[in-house]
Amino acid sequence: MKLFHKLLIFNLLGKGLFLLLFLMSGPYLLRYFILKNTDRQLIQKKAEVLELIEADGIESFISNENPEEGFGSYNILKEEYILLEKVDAGTVLQDSLSSVERIIEGEEISYRVYADLLDINGEIYLLEVGRSLSTIEQIESIFFRIAIGILFLFLGLSFILDSAISKRIMAPFNRIIRTKISQINEPQEFNDLPISSTTLEFEILDQAISEMMKRIQKSFNQERIFISHASHELKTPISVLQSKVEALFVDENLNAYQSEKLMEMQDSLQKMKKSVNALLLLSKVNNAQFLKTEEVDLAKILHDLIDDWGEIAENRGIKLSHGKIDPFVFKNTNHSLCTMMIQNGLSNAVKYVSEEGEIWISGLRHPDRYEIRIENDGEGIDEKLLEQVRNGLVFLKDVNKEKSGFGLQIMHRIATFLAVRIQLSSQDGKTTLVFSFPVS
Amino acid sequence: MRILLVEDERELAKEIGDFLQSEHHIVDSVGLIKDTSENLAANSYDFILLDLGLPDGDGLELLGDIQRYQKDASVIILTARTEVGDKILGLESGADDYLSKPFSLLELKARMQAILRRKGGWRKDTVNLGGFEISLSQPSVHFQGQEIKLTRKEYVLLQFMVINKNRVLNRFQLAEHLWGDHLDDDYQSNYIDVHVKNIRKKLSAFGPVDWLETVRGLGYKVIS
Repeated sequence: MKLFHKLLIFNLLGKGLFLLLFLMSGPYLLRYFILKNTDRQLIQKKAEVLELIEADGIESFISNENPEEGFGSYNILKEEYILLEKVDAGTVLQDSLSSVERIIEGEEISYRVYADLLDINGEIYLLEVGRSLSTIEQIESIFFRIAIGILFLFLGLSFILDSAISKRIMAPFNRIIRTKISQINEPQEFNDLPISSTTLEFEILDQAISEMMKRIQKSFNQERIFISHASHELKTPISVLQSKVEALFVDENLNAYQSEKLMEMQDSLQKMKKSVNALLLLSKVNNAQFLKTEEVDLAKILHDLIDDWGEIAENRGIKLSHGKIDPFVFKNTNHSLCTMMIQNGLSNAVKYVSEEGEIWISGLRHPDRYEIRIENDGEGIDEKLLEQVRNGLVFLKDVNKEKSGFGLQIMHRIATFLAVRIQLSSQDGKTTLVFSFPVS
Repeated sequence: MRILLVEDERELAKEIGDFLQSEHHIVDSVGLIKDTSENLAANSYDFILLDLGLPDGDGLELLGDIQRYQKDASVIILTARTEVGDKILGLESGADDYLSKPFSLLELKARMQAILRRKGGWRKDTVNLGGFEISLSQPSVHFQGQEIKLTRKEYVLLQFMVINKNRVLNRFQLAEHLWGDHLDDDYQSNYIDVHVKNIRKKLSAFGPVDWLETVRGLGYKVIS
């Protein structure tokens, strides 16, 4: 996942979590403060009622004739009520402030109630002042809806803003990755122009990468010059030797012994040429000395190889067949290296296929890759040894079969250079080689 | 043809020179840029074989002089250097082909003939051997008007043998022409026998192929 997306998701989740917490605790907090305010108002009402009793006397509320009836009053919408009744001396109140249900004219209503015992003229009275809680519930509901709306609006705006800001802040970092870090495997293409940024960390990173790449570039150039000189020094004497041997072949008076010795010389010369060429090729691939500007029709390469090797395989009693070969053009690559890599894979299968065995080839297009599969009967190569080949530790030389050991190494190095993934596995008397070409 | 051979390695220059002379060409051999420039200005050449790593400079520098003085000459770069930039620069600067050392002299001959055919300087494009009409530029073999189907590699192999007719070609030379140097199989020369066997089989269905000889212990030879 990209850092940009991670930051965006992290920001969104953080803010979302915070808002969710606020949304969940909001109604409780709101209820708490509203109740506090209501309680204060109810206490004020009690003071007002006491003032009225003091001014008008208790008789204005409770008649002396029928003191058990008490006094009750509520407004038209039943939002508030006052209750005053005589109680026995020694009555104790549990809570002075409480939320209770009251039935008024057959309607059950939730009230916040302030209750107190009044001692008037030696008589004990219970005073209840209540206010309906329906208003509080309405406020809660409105608050909840507004809060949800604000939450989504905030998250939406925050996403857009974060996205724009992160993109802007991360732009130099993305340029560093796109134009610099991606060139690490091909230092010759490296552009050391500084990436403009106002972020100190990015500037430091850019400078560090540029410095590192300059050192790699220098070492690559030294290696390139060395390879060029080594190539000249090794190939020129071989050229001379080859020309001299070829000149001898023209002589028609050679006897059988001379011919045999000449062929042996040619054989040794050929092996020497191949070894030198293979080592130089490996060095050049490692040194990224090949251009990747061509397009390769992989299906055509497979068909050509099947044509080229078909009769050779048939002659050896090997069945060379193929399954589906989807069309696919591999872009930004090197044609000769790509062909060499696949050809070495097939040549390896021909080498190791069992007597009268079978080689099967396919080329399938998947959504994310193009997969060339070469399968052959016969004993495969030990996985540990293959791992060493992949790591460039050994050249796989099969002394018993007198086979040179550069093929797999060349195949692996080219694959790394061309960003092709290779899987080579042996199981149950069958070896499978898979080349996975990236689609984009 | 008159050929200018630019090669500073004396022994190699001698071998290439001797080979070209045996092919009835006139060869001027030089090993320095200075001498090459003088020859280019003074003489007229059909072919220039140019080495790149010369003691007094880079052979690529000479391509300008060649364009100036020898517009009609064909150029093959012969080099032991491996840098891909050299090949591209050389071909873009007017060279017709690029041959990496070490190369077979027969490969050099085949490349020279291919350039001449491409430029139209080689009148004869088809060779008749025992009634078989073998094209040297197209994958085509006919016998009395009838087309004979060969595989791609068989055409290439047959054409190479015909170009180098009357000369023994060993399996290594043929294999190198067919697959280059990088195919990882020491037995690839044995595959040549399979191809030649198949060529013989396909052609002998139409007529005798005694012009394609096996030289015991060495290789093959096309006789005309």
